[in-house]
Amino acid sequence: MAAAAAGSGTPREEEGSSGEAAAPQPQAPTSAPGARLSRLPLARVKALVKADPDVTLAGQEAIFILARAAELFVETIAKDAYCCAQQGKRKTLQRRDLDNAIEAVDEFAFLEGTLD
Amino acid sequence: MAERPEDLNLPNAVITRIIKEALPDGVNISKEARSAISRAASVFVLYATSCANNFAMKGKRKTLNASDVLSAMEEMEFQRFVAPLKEALEAYRREQRGKKEASEQKKKDKDRKTDSEEQDKSREEDNDEEQS
Repeated sequence: MAAAAAGSGTPREEEGSSGEAAAPQPQAPTSAPGARLSRLPLARVKALVKADPDVTLAGQEAIFILARAAELFVETIAKDAYCCAQQGKRKTLQRRDLDNAIEAVDEFAFLEGTLD
Repeated sequence: MAERPEDLNLPNAVITRIIKEALPDGVNISKEARSAISRAASVFVLYATSCANNFAMKGKRKTLNASDVLSAMEEMEFQRFVAPLKEALEAYRREQRGKKEASEQKKKDKDRKTDSEEQDKSREEDNDEEQS
């Protein structure tokens, strides 16, 4: 399963869970939480949360977890989009790779129609 | 000021860095793809917030808490995020406790100084010398 992401060009699975077992990739050390807790500025995440008219208050921990979840999301969608680019043997991620990933992966269905 | 919520973007530089670290060396990303991912991240936060808020309301609470967000992740079918998020939450809580203890310690020191100043005015000069 790991061979699929090693650039061999053999598209095996197109599920959202691809790319996790990719050994050759220099993965970000997500197992070292002490190193960097969150790169996204909490203030901006908080602004997004407050934009929801139904939300009254949000605790600090909630904001922090949302920020971290957004980071994980960016990593995930970038990797999934990259699998599409690999199939085209390109080394630059294009917008269409992203669109393909959104269509192919169930978890990304909520994004349909929102990126235009 | 009256922007759509989806227009509230997260900083480009940070998004780019996260993307680059997630991908192998030598892989680039077009500007359009990067800004689409950034937008997607904003939409993700909005959607997660809305889901989390439903859980808070079910629990008759007005404040979103961490477990609401974790429940939202499961609801959104991002279960694989739950474990790393719990780890991050633990680390965050430890850090907050550390900060709180540090500021409480500072406050104690400050109170102690104030007390000694009130008790004995003649000792004030000595205290000043100690501080310098």
